Amino acid sequence: MKSVGQREPNVIPGFGITLGFTTFFLSAIVLLPLSALVLKTAGMDWSRFIEVIGSPRAIASYKLSFGASMVAATVNMVFGFALAWTLVRYEFPGRRLVDAIIDMPFALPTAVSGIALTTIFSANGWIGKYLEAHGIFVAYTPLGITVALTLISMPFVVRTVQPALQEVQRDLEDAAETLGAGRLYVFRRIIVPTVMPALLTGFTLAFARAVGEYGSVIFIAGNKFGYTEITPYLIVIKLEEFDYAGAAALGVVMLTISFVMLFAINLLQVWGRKRMMVSR
Amino acid sequence: MSIALDQVTKRYQDQPVVNDVSIEVGEGEFFVLLGPSGSGKSTLLRAIAGLTGIDHGRISLHGRDVTHVRARDRGVGLVFQNYALFRHMTVADNIEFALRVRRMKAAERRARRSELLKLVALEGMDGRLPGQLSGGQQQRVAVARALAHKPQVLLLDEPFGALDAKIREELRRTIRSVQRELGITTVLVTHDQEEAFALADTIGVMNHGRLLEVGQPHDLYAQPATRFVATFLGAANLLLARQAADGIRFGATPVNAEGAEPVQVGREHEVVAVLRPEEVEIAAAREDLSSNYIARGAVEEIVFTGALERLRVRLLDEPCAAQLLGPSGNGEARLEITRTQPERRALPLSQGAQIAIGARRLHVLPTPLSSFLACGATEAEAAALAHEPLLESLSIRMKTRVVLRAIDGLTGSPAPFSGVAAIAGGGDAARTVEWLLRHGAAEVLVLPKNAPSPTRVYIHWTDEAARRATLAVAASLLRHVSAEAVYLGIVPEGRSATGRAAPMRALLDARSEAQQSHGLEMRTELAVGETVAELTRNLSAGAAQMLVLGITDITDAGSAYRSLLAGQPGWPVLIVYRPPESRAASDNVVSGTAA
Repeated sequence: MKSVGQREPNVIPGFGITLGFTTFFLSAIVLLPLSALVLKTAGMDWSRFIEVIGSPRAIASYKLSFGASMVAATVNMVFGFALAWTLVRYEFPGRRLVDAIIDMPFALPTAVSGIALTTIFSANGWIGKYLEAHGIFVAYTPLGITVALTLISMPFVVRTVQPALQEVQRDLEDAAETLGAGRLYVFRRIIVPTVMPALLTGFTLAFARAVGEYGSVIFIAGNKFGYTEITPYLIVIKLEEFDYAGAAALGVVMLTISFVMLFAINLLQVWGRKRMMVSR
Repeated sequence: MSIALDQVTKRYQDQPVVNDVSIEVGEGEFFVLLGPSGSGKSTLLRAIAGLTGIDHGRISLHGRDVTHVRARDRGVGLVFQNYALFRHMTVADNIEFALRVRRMKAAERRARRSELLKLVALEGMDGRLPGQLSGGQQQRVAVARALAHKPQVLLLDEPFGALDAKIREELRRTIRSVQRELGITTVLVTHDQEEAFALADTIGVMNHGRLLEVGQPHDLYAQPATRFVATFLGAANLLLARQAADGIRFGATPVNAEGAEPVQVGREHEVVAVLRPEEVEIAAAREDLSSNYIARGAVEEIVFTGALERLRVRLLDEPCAAQLLGPSGNGEARLEITRTQPERRALPLSQGAQIAIGARRLHVLPTPLSSFLACGATEAEAAALAHEPLLESLSIRMKTRVVLRAIDGLTGSPAPFSGVAAIAGGGDAARTVEWLLRHGAAEVLVLPKNAPSPTRVYIHWTDEAARRATLAVAASLLRHVSAEAVYLGIVPEGRSATGRAAPMRALLDARSEAQQSHGLEMRTELAVGETVAELTRNLSAGAAQMLVLGITDITDAGSAYRSLLAGQPGWPVLIVYRPPESRAASDNVVSGTAA
């Protein structure tokens, strides 16, 4: 009882316990498997490591994986923003339904969306047959992979931008308008900068999700050698060949690139948030 | 005129939130729009800024009609309650926003910015972000930003709402001095009467979407025309008094006050009087009062508030106590009194002390609608009528009361009627109306069952002699319901074009009189045909309509207009009766008091 007065009382008690749990869970669930990955790779010698990660096939897969993910996340940043904007700003019949549909890609097993997309976009699919008539091939091409990645990462952008948009006060736009700004100007100079942090977060999440995606992609990708093979697919192939060290090496490369990119985006955001200094 | 609003109306889902508002603000004037939340004042401000479209009316700024001009082209500066600063921009960028939009050169922008920062006493803050400033500083930045493009009009929407008292006062002074220095026409919206008094050259009070009164702070406080303004601007005791040709009585005591309108000899009218808490004098005995004695009272509550002492006093004389209107309109009200410390020292009081009460200054409101008298064949019927939704909401909004009265059989000579007599609609209504009017009632409200609050009130009089009284009653009624007012002029069929000129002139006269004498904005419509048929046709054209009908002939109610009162389901009809000789008689009274 005496010691109560000694320490500075915290509003939420149990800092020690919570930090302990955080460390434990992060270690057990995230760090431990990752270290195992690195350890496994450490079993290879350098020349073998370079050979595995530097093979033309592997390099093509990095380009595809990160490139398609980047494109998908970018597309989502634009259209996810538009979707969120529509949902936040307008009242229309069926708005709640649309709002619910946004989450569908979260709930759907990824293989199901992959098969569904393949069915629709293949040469005799509903959309595919019209597109192929115009020389646009979706199924079994990098374009198809991008479509699949866009689908599964879309909710991340919408769900992060939505609350931010809700917070953009109408007053800000009104103020800008009375100061003489046109609509486009208000959008560019007021709305976009205000929701930028959320938009970046959404982009990051979408990108991260897309890079790690496997289930939906392998169906629509067709997995043509050196053309539509994503890195996770190569890893699975290595595993099937019982080349665990090789799989781990590819994994480490993915991990490193992802970490660097995510960290960079995070830094960008911290910098942006400092500029905003949202103190209430 | 710097800002001119002409009959501006804005509806949301058919409900007018701004109802026929006309305002003129002079060059360099500081105009404060005052009203409770939901009174439509902010909507009106947004309409002036161009951020909200209007459904009816015209807005002009400096003689230029801007009704259909976009906000960005109106040249106004607007300051919001929550500052609405762009948080991702520095103070400098915020202030220069309007200048950047106008592609002003960087050097000129800088010069203007430092000029503005100096004006609001924030020199050297250019590089800060809004998040690094205090609330008061942020609002100063917002003011500077709103002034950057040299707007001709500055609009402020509750600019001090989010600030605490000390900073509020400081910022208030800044805004007042900036406004004086620039001589810019300014409209400020607030719900705080103290703020309005401190800043305004002119105050306009709004309630239920209507502009009730416009005037200089002192005039509005000393001589309000409406109950709402009397009680919203400062504290007020409302008393019901009776006005006869020979003066005004409160209970049994004659009081020293003047009625707004003379009363004919032999008739009596109930009036509403305002007694400010600080205008009440108290003394140990009646002889010690230096002002007009009104009643005796017992102190019920004493509250010390620093500079002033607040007392709540129960009136001991029964007839007087019953005439005091409380917040809920019942007779259980207490008289509110404030005393200064020297006054308190001169006569220290404790709870339960009995005192004599005098009124230094009593102001009689010009409203002809004082209270309601629900009449039914039995007390129970009267009570049922008093609970009619329309009557109930009217009495609450008018802060007045509904007295019950059984009028059995329409025989004998009843006690005088005070206030507006209300009766149920239906078959017998016309006969009852006639009887009530014959026995001294001046206004009768005929209420059909479950009549909704009207959204449109038609005004019509059968005789120009009833015009003044009918307009006064209609204006008073319309201050308490959010309905649009329409004067319906009716021309008999078959008149030649020249024959129609006179009614047209009457129409315009009616409109300008309503505006000038009663502050009532009404629209006018001209119908051709037989009067009762035209009234019926217009009343049945929409839901929730009501009629205010002025007559000078008592038999009219029972005969010609019978069908209007007996119709099913029917409309609420407020009949205003003034005897035709009213004019001559009132002139006598005026000369009598002068002598």
